[in-house]
Amino acid sequence: MFNHLTLAISIFVLTYVIIMSEKINRTAIAMFGAVLLLLFNIESQEMALEHVDFNTIGLLIGMMIIVNIMKKTGIFQYIAIVSAKFVKGEPWKIIVIFSIITAASSALLDNVTTILLIVPITLVITETLGANPIPFLIPLILMANIGGTATLIGDPPNIMIGSATGLGFLDFIQNMTPITIVIFIVTLFLLKLIYKKDLNATEEQKAKIMALNEALAIKDRALLKKSLFVLFLTVFGFMFHQSFGYESATVALFGAGLLLLLSKIDPEEILLEVEWPTIFFFTALFILVGGLVEVGAIDFLAEKVLAITHGNMVMTMLLILWGAAIASAFLDNIPFVATMIPLIKSIGAMSAISITPLWWALALGACLGGNGTLVGASANVIVSGMLEKKGRRIGFLNYMKIGFPLMIISIVLSTVYLLIFYV
Amino acid sequence: MRKLINAEVLEHSMKLQQMGGKINIVNSKLCYVSFDISGFELMYVYNINKKGNYFLERIKPYPLPLKEFESENDVVDIIAIDLEQFKNAIKSHHSSEFVDAGRMLIEVLKKFEDLYLYYNISTEHMNEMMNQLNKFAEQIKQVKSESERLYFKKEPENL
Repeated sequence: MFNHLTLAISIFVLTYVIIMSEKINRTAIAMFGAVLLLLFNIESQEMALEHVDFNTIGLLIGMMIIVNIMKKTGIFQYIAIVSAKFVKGEPWKIIVIFSIITAASSALLDNVTTILLIVPITLVITETLGANPIPFLIPLILMANIGGTATLIGDPPNIMIGSATGLGFLDFIQNMTPITIVIFIVTLFLLKLIYKKDLNATEEQKAKIMALNEALAIKDRALLKKSLFVLFLTVFGFMFHQSFGYESATVALFGAGLLLLLSKIDPEEILLEVEWPTIFFFTALFILVGGLVEVGAIDFLAEKVLAITHGNMVMTMLLILWGAAIASAFLDNIPFVATMIPLIKSIGAMSAISITPLWWALALGACLGGNGTLVGASANVIVSGMLEKKGRRIGFLNYMKIGFPLMIISIVLSTVYLLIFYV
Repeated sequence: MRKLINAEVLEHSMKLQQMGGKINIVNSKLCYVSFDISGFELMYVYNINKKGNYFLERIKPYPLPLKEFESENDVVDIIAIDLEQFKNAIKSHHSSEFVDAGRMLIEVLKKFEDLYLYYNISTEHMNEMMNQLNKFAEQIKQVKSESERLYFKKEPENL
């Protein structure tokens, strides 16, 4: 008969392999794996629920509610049209300004949400310009993943790290935003070298952009004012949540509740749009990883990592940064980070290493690594799917030729940053 | 995937707004219903939602909007009557001719609309076509008056 350790590791590995293979829906297999842990009494139901990070879950749900109400106002289309007209329909300048919008939005919303809002608008703009959308969309994929790296709420790995460690919104702003800005600028400069010569538009096409009417984009002015007020209040709450002693989920759920109340929209209509499969996926992952913690597998792994790095902080940090980046370029970064969090905690408990830099290394590696390939992040997969529906194909290798070197450059910059400021 | 559909809706909305359209997006269920009456396929599509804007359309044997209905319960009653009428009608010697004629009328309607949208036709031609249509409408009334009625549970809605 299998003992609990072997059984837990087998269920965990099998579940993760199936998730990575993408042969079966990730939520379905993660839930099944999590329930198997309960069925085999590796974790009790009560213990499993204790492993669920309700701060991460609450933050995700809260932000999804706020965004789903906000997008009804038409604010994103309005900003896009004003921006495209501001640069007078010049293709490269549109890419620059849309990259800024994408990175900034992605810092406040999760990457997938940002992409789902900005890409449809970009497709309308490129169609109006009569341009190939691919040179516009690849920069947006990269910038969504880069922008998301900057803040606590920008990307699910950061939410999970913040929640597990108590690192707050301002901690992320102080430690992640500066390097993210540098990576954004360097990436944009390199993209200019790659794409500038391919981007042309006639005066007639630019005139069509100038003829777009931003006023038509705003659907509900009253809702827009309420949404902006709540968004401002929520961002303010995130900035000071640690000073007030609140968890970040409390802030997001307060914003969501207040906006639901003020908007008077049927809550059922908004809650339908919450990405419940993602929420259940996270919940199941927390239970799966919790199983490994309970049987001592995480402590065992931590010992092995320390044996490789000899307890050296710099080596451990670089191993986490580069390991996370390469893994996230090919695999879903959420299960990876879910496993790394207890592992890093165990490393901290077993050694004298200061683990705070390790969290930044994990966040940078997991978030930026997603830029490496077309399957590296959900945002990439979604853009690729949207383009295929339009009869256009980015192609795994075509994307990788651009994305992978740019990802490596961003990780090199992150390495330099971590070595200068945290060693 | 729901989020991809939402992204597509967003793209459509932006284009339609720029054309001056007002878009009201309603969460709804679209239901397809099909019946096999001894090899004769009858198919309907209807939409059901919380906002009270429902529609029901028969899509086979030929497409025909049946009715906007007021309550979701009405849709089953309407389909039940339509189904019963078709079960009855396919026993007719002329069943296949009726179905072919129905399809032909829809084709004629599409061609007629193309005339309107693509061509500037003369008054003589317009009058001639209107006369033909009036004659056809009169003929339907005449055939009705000279034919035996077979279905009595409900009065005809258009005749």
